[in-house]
Amino acid sequence: MRFFRQDLHALTGAYALDALDPGTELTRFNGHLDRCPSCAGEVRGFREVATAMAFAATTEPPPELRDQVMAAVARTRQLPPEVRTHARPRRTRSAAPWLPWLSGAIATAAIAVAVFFGFAQAHTRSELDQARAQNQALAAAQARVEAALSQAREHDQALAEILGAPHVTLLSQRTTTGGVAVVVLDAATRKLVVATSGLPALPAGQVYQLWLIGPVRIVSAGLLPTAQAGVTTPVVAAGIVKGDKLGLTVEPAPGTTQPTTTPILALPLPV
Amino acid sequence: MNPNDSDASRFRSATADRRGERDLDDLLIHVARGDQAAFEALYDRMAGPVYGVIRRVLRDPSQSEEVAQEVLLEVWRSAARFDPAMGGAATWMTTIAHRRAIDRVRSTTAAAGREQKTADVSPPHDEVAEAVEASLDRERVRRCLDSLTEIQRESITLAYYGGHSYRQVAELLNVTLGAIKTRIRDGLIRMRDCLGVN
Repeated sequence: MRFFRQDLHALTGAYALDALDPGTELTRFNGHLDRCPSCAGEVRGFREVATAMAFAATTEPPPELRDQVMAAVARTRQLPPEVRTHARPRRTRSAAPWLPWLSGAIATAAIAVAVFFGFAQAHTRSELDQARAQNQALAAAQARVEAALSQAREHDQALAEILGAPHVTLLSQRTTTGGVAVVVLDAATRKLVVATSGLPALPAGQVYQLWLIGPVRIVSAGLLPTAQAGVTTPVVAAGIVKGDKLGLTVEPAPGTTQPTTTPILALPLPV
Repeated sequence: MNPNDSDASRFRSATADRRGERDLDDLLIHVARGDQAAFEALYDRMAGPVYGVIRRVLRDPSQSEEVAQEVLLEVWRSAARFDPAMGGAATWMTTIAHRRAIDRVRSTTAAAGREQKTADVSPPHDEVAEAVEASLDRERVRRCLDSLTEIQRESITLAYYGGHSYRQVAELLNVTLGAIKTRIRDGLIRMRDCLGVN
């Protein structure tokens, strides 16, 4: 045990240089950082070294970058500050895999793989690579999901924000009737993106409805779109509060204000 | 006088002058309130290091430009989430930049492009040499890197500038994982002391 702790402590350097593979080791080290103030101090110092190395690499960017960034800034809404209601919740702690650098392209790829396999198995880059290498069909499925996602991102600022967020959590769960829901959760903005795969088709007049199920209230989080080739396009849910689970029920069209059937999914959301 | 002491104090004064850490923090705080002029000032100070570190990792100029744009926009969007208690604005921004570059490396589409590019692109130190205004930082970082053992220096530069995970570094240098962790950490401790980081 003692050896194990020292082993983790030795990772401060690799961590500060972003050289840990996303996955269990990074999750474990993040957990360790929460309990080890001296490690956190060491990481801060090492990050300063990394900053000096970044400054040493200073390169004049192409002149057009400035105009592009300023144009993008002019049409981009800023995120509100995190309002701390209780003592500095720096990091979500949960049994769920926490993937701090999972963003943008990797989140997209992870969703695609998860949707394709029916569960969120591939969490690391090497797993994604392996899965892709082994499976031509996966590459095609991924291209399709990525195309759908990037199209959706253009039309949906909220979706783009979550998939571009610096820290997100990837969650997934099978429903009790089959198929799987894959969730990308941005705890900072308390929003999520959910896509599903392989849910049983419903008879006419019935819909799948999403819910945020908390200890004191249940609110609708909208309907799942009709599946195409078994996969529903991602939808965004906002306003998650602590203790919420993402629920899914079958309801009469066009949806109800409160669930009328037993949820086929109740996925805890670590925010 | 201990040469490390003088190096440390010169690094501090040089970087404090040029980087003006406190000023950067202030700028970022104004950016968080939607001040576009403050963002332009921040851009002028930080675009070089942000683009530079991304370029160093990715090498490909057009990918680097794309990622730099994402990072700088992210700074604008998330400025309100910046917490000075967790480190200065420069560290916050260069950390985001490095992570985004690493994200890009780890997404396979980029990996293919990157491998293809490494073959026909000249070594990155040529580009770095063009950045005259960074010469002080570069000189000090180079000197401190030179003070490390070869394996410490190689593991740190392969990890940070090369964008490799420590497992890949261990593979590249043919050293055990345990040894590489220790070399990176020991090397960073020496760098930290040499650069005079508190």
